[in-house]
Amino acid sequence: MTTDEGTKPEGEVQAAALAERGEDITPARDRGVLKIIKRPGNDDESPMIGDKVYVHYKGKLANGKKFDSSRDRNEPFVFSLGKGQVIKAWDIGVATMKKGEVCYLLCKPEYAYGAAGSAPKIPSNATLFFEVELLDFKGEDLFEDGGIIRRIKRKGEGYSNPNEGATVEIHLEGFCGGTRFDCKDVKFVVGEGEDHDIPIGIDKALEKMQRGEHCVLYLGPRYGFGEAGKPKYGIQANAELVYEVTLKSFEKAKESWEMDTKEKLEQAAIVKEKGTMYFKEGKYLQAVIQYGKIVSWLEMEYGLSEKESKASDSFLLAAFLNLAMCYLKLREYTKAVECCDKALGLDQDNEKGLYRRGEARLLMNEFELAKCDFQKVLEVNPQNKAARSQISVCQKKTKEHNERDRRIYANMFTKFAERDAKALIQNSSKQKPMHGVL
Amino acid sequence: MAVDELQAIIQRCQILEESDFRGEDFNLFQVAGQKCLEDGYAAQLLEVIQNEKNKVIIKNMGWNLISPLVRCILAYKQEDDKRDDKREHCLKILDQLVQLCNPKELFLGLLEQIEQTSGEKVCPTVMLLLQPLQTVLLKLQNKKAYSVGLSLAMIMNQLTPLPVPYTKQQIQEDKLGLCQCCNAVVDFAKPFVNEVVKNMEKSSEYNDMELKEELLKFCMKSLKYPLLTAQLEQLEGIEEQPFRHFATEIIVSVVKMNYIFLHHKGKRSYWENQEFEDIERKNSADSLACLSYLMFVQHFGINCFPMVFSPSYLLQCNMTHIEVLVVVFCLFASFFSHPQDLFENCLLRMEDNSLLHQYLEFRDFINVPQDLVKVMTLCPIEHLRKKSLNMLQLFIDKFDAEGKYTLFRCLLKTSNHAGVEGYIIQKIKDQIHLSLTKAHDNVWFTRHHLISLLDLVLFLPEGAETDLLQNSDRIMASLNLLRYLVIKDCESDNQTGVWTTLAKIEKNFLKPLHVGLNMSKAHYEAEIKNKRENRRVYSLTVSEEKMPAMTTEMQLQVLHSALFTFDLIESVLARVEELIEVKVKATGIKA
Repeated sequence: MTTDEGTKPEGEVQAAALAERGEDITPARDRGVLKIIKRPGNDDESPMIGDKVYVHYKGKLANGKKFDSSRDRNEPFVFSLGKGQVIKAWDIGVATMKKGEVCYLLCKPEYAYGAAGSAPKIPSNATLFFEVELLDFKGEDLFEDGGIIRRIKRKGEGYSNPNEGATVEIHLEGFCGGTRFDCKDVKFVVGEGEDHDIPIGIDKALEKMQRGEHCVLYLGPRYGFGEAGKPKYGIQANAELVYEVTLKSFEKAKESWEMDTKEKLEQAAIVKEKGTMYFKEGKYLQAVIQYGKIVSWLEMEYGLSEKESKASDSFLLAAFLNLAMCYLKLREYTKAVECCDKALGLDQDNEKGLYRRGEARLLMNEFELAKCDFQKVLEVNPQNKAARSQISVCQKKTKEHNERDRRIYANMFTKFAERDAKALIQNSSKQKPMHGVL
Repeated sequence: MAVDELQAIIQRCQILEESDFRGEDFNLFQVAGQKCLEDGYAAQLLEVIQNEKNKVIIKNMGWNLISPLVRCILAYKQEDDKRDDKREHCLKILDQLVQLCNPKELFLGLLEQIEQTSGEKVCPTVMLLLQPLQTVLLKLQNKKAYSVGLSLAMIMNQLTPLPVPYTKQQIQEDKLGLCQCCNAVVDFAKPFVNEVVKNMEKSSEYNDMELKEELLKFCMKSLKYPLLTAQLEQLEGIEEQPFRHFATEIIVSVVKMNYIFLHHKGKRSYWENQEFEDIERKNSADSLACLSYLMFVQHFGINCFPMVFSPSYLLQCNMTHIEVLVVVFCLFASFFSHPQDLFENCLLRMEDNSLLHQYLEFRDFINVPQDLVKVMTLCPIEHLRKKSLNMLQLFIDKFDAEGKYTLFRCLLKTSNHAGVEGYIIQKIKDQIHLSLTKAHDNVWFTRHHLISLLDLVLFLPEGAETDLLQNSDRIMASLNLLRYLVIKDCESDNQTGVWTTLAKIEKNFLKPLHVGLNMSKAHYEAEIKNKRENRRVYSLTVSEEKMPAMTTEMQLQVLHSALFTFDLIESVLARVEELIEVKVKATGIKA
């Protein structure tokens, strides 16, 4: 008997068994998803909502026809649990599984692809059968940089998240090394948590939370209190933090398209002030948020009157210049250069813009470009002493760099030279082909 | 004579050791060989090359003949049949050289030929050299991956400036040979793809990463050119549509090499593969959009796509691609409707009213409908305008009530086009009707939410000075909506809240409309009178082109039709006011 003949009846048997004694796991108890555990898990832990889960699966239609299998692709299937990325039956079903468990799921069309089906493989109103193995799961890496890991304890309502500038009411508890250092109910504007001694990571995470959500956040130092630490709470430099946060309620800030030009200009003045305040305190990430708002509101605004346009350009120029300064401080030099470019797009002889771009390029080891920038600064303002001294720094660095290169390559070149000399002696009579391609 | 010269140098070299060949010999050989070819002694040259005694000479010097040889073969091709056997000889020479020459030098020689060709010669040259190039590459010991990548990149770079055939006729004719050439290139890449696949099966160690990466780069490049803007539908009368064939092969390669279509880069893209992150980031948006179109609309490779994603998630992932496609297709002024087709494909998977309004928080969900509006109002191609309107309609249908509400608000604020605004207002009316007639009430199209929406509808953008003619679509739709509200909604119920906000409507809409109508009518009537009295011919220039002069009759016709529009507006306005008055009187509500 071939495998094909063998699996088909087996599939039907499984489906029949599921229909008969499968456990109804739908919250609505409508028998839309039935489950049988084929092999219990080896661990008692289940994935939480939002976790990245790794599964292997095989899917069949009611007639036993296999429509999909991750094993055929030789790679586990990965998705975020409970986020509506997969059909409803899966979000419900996988959440009930333990690590290592293998189970069968029988899914009614309402929990799969419904009346529309999914061309070309799933017909209309199809009941689907799955065999799923939960291989692994881990907390959600919010920014894909390992800086903020979230595990959701209680899912929030709907899909709406606070945006930057939204007013939120939260309850939070902060832990460091197992000790609780903060516990409070607080209302603040997303992006301005610092005003309440709340690290930037919480602001960032809030933008991904829903109303009523209760989660644990693991913050890396960059998203925590960073190098400065937080003496008020006795937190050392570069400490890792754990927060438990409940988003009680929030009111969103207006989207850009909801605001008219006048409103944008008024708000721009306010956030500029706020940005400058953060900058002076050395809270550069927070300052970036404020200046960034100006850019998002005004950069693409068109149809302005002459007066508005002038005001808008001056806000944008200030925003780009200040953003450049922030990025310099944050050591994100590419972004700093981008901002300077934009500032110089508005005002090509802007002294600060040129100077800051020079600084950024210098720090990126692009000495020649940096030198050009500083020279332009001097063209604009011959009195700029700082630029003058930067030029000599550039020259010095270029020289140092060349020296170093020479040292590094010196050995290599000697070796090459020796080898080539040898080859030359050997092939002295043989013409070497020359080509323009390479 | 050329053949004698060749014999002379050959005889001299036959007695030398390989290492004793001098630069001079290389030159003499090349010059003599080239001359043989030019003078038509290909057969004799072939003989020399086939001679076992000359093997070593050819191995070292043969590659020098590639350039004149290619020139000859291509020249013969353009001439008539009687030179067929000479061409045949040349091809045999090429074949021999491929067998005999040192692979490294031959590779460079072949590549150089491809690099130097241009224009209509590109495809014939590439077609001619693909097979030799493949043979040589398979022989190369070192830097194979790099060389394969270099070859493919060079070939694609040479092809990219060529126009992609567009119509059925162009495809059949394939004047420059692009269709044929693309498929030949894919065949060229096949053995290397198979090699990667074989190695992947053998071990999980990524020893072949480099070759795999080069091949994937080629696939990505092909998706961008020529596939992105190519005709990809089945065409009647062409059995094997060349671009469909090419697309299939490319996707098969992509899939075989396990460039699995994962997701999880959140909103950015769902094709994740860390190894190729740099390919992905750089310039790949177009390629991925094309890949998505091919998979979802044309079903290429769909068998390898996980079949557990939810329809709304698929839509979400594809929105980025749809946006990219809209921009690219506008840029190319393409006649095809790929963006709309991909959008339709995603939307048809969803049930009406099932899309949650929160999706509008993703930027693409707000951008795409705005892009569609731009196509609807600015695109010169009618079927694209129509299709875009249909997609907008479908998109609106899929959203829940709050989503529709938000979308209406957004489109009213951003469309800048009276026709579109009129359309949206009509849609709003439909939604109000549903809320009033369906058993369960809908908060978004009644009471305070509705009133705030009506504020955006029932007003004149520039008060009494608004250009009524330009805005007539919008004004008529608004009046119709208002008429519907006052008829349908009893002032005692006031479900829609219209009766509460009546004073505002009067102030912002009805009164200025009256004033505007009077002013406009007076203006146009004066204009007609004026025109009748001094019949002058006006000229009009549109984008530096002089339009045919309008006769006075035509001008009068235009003016009259404007007056007619005003009359129409006025009559509906009168009807609305009458209805309001009756109802207000009946209940004693003060507006």
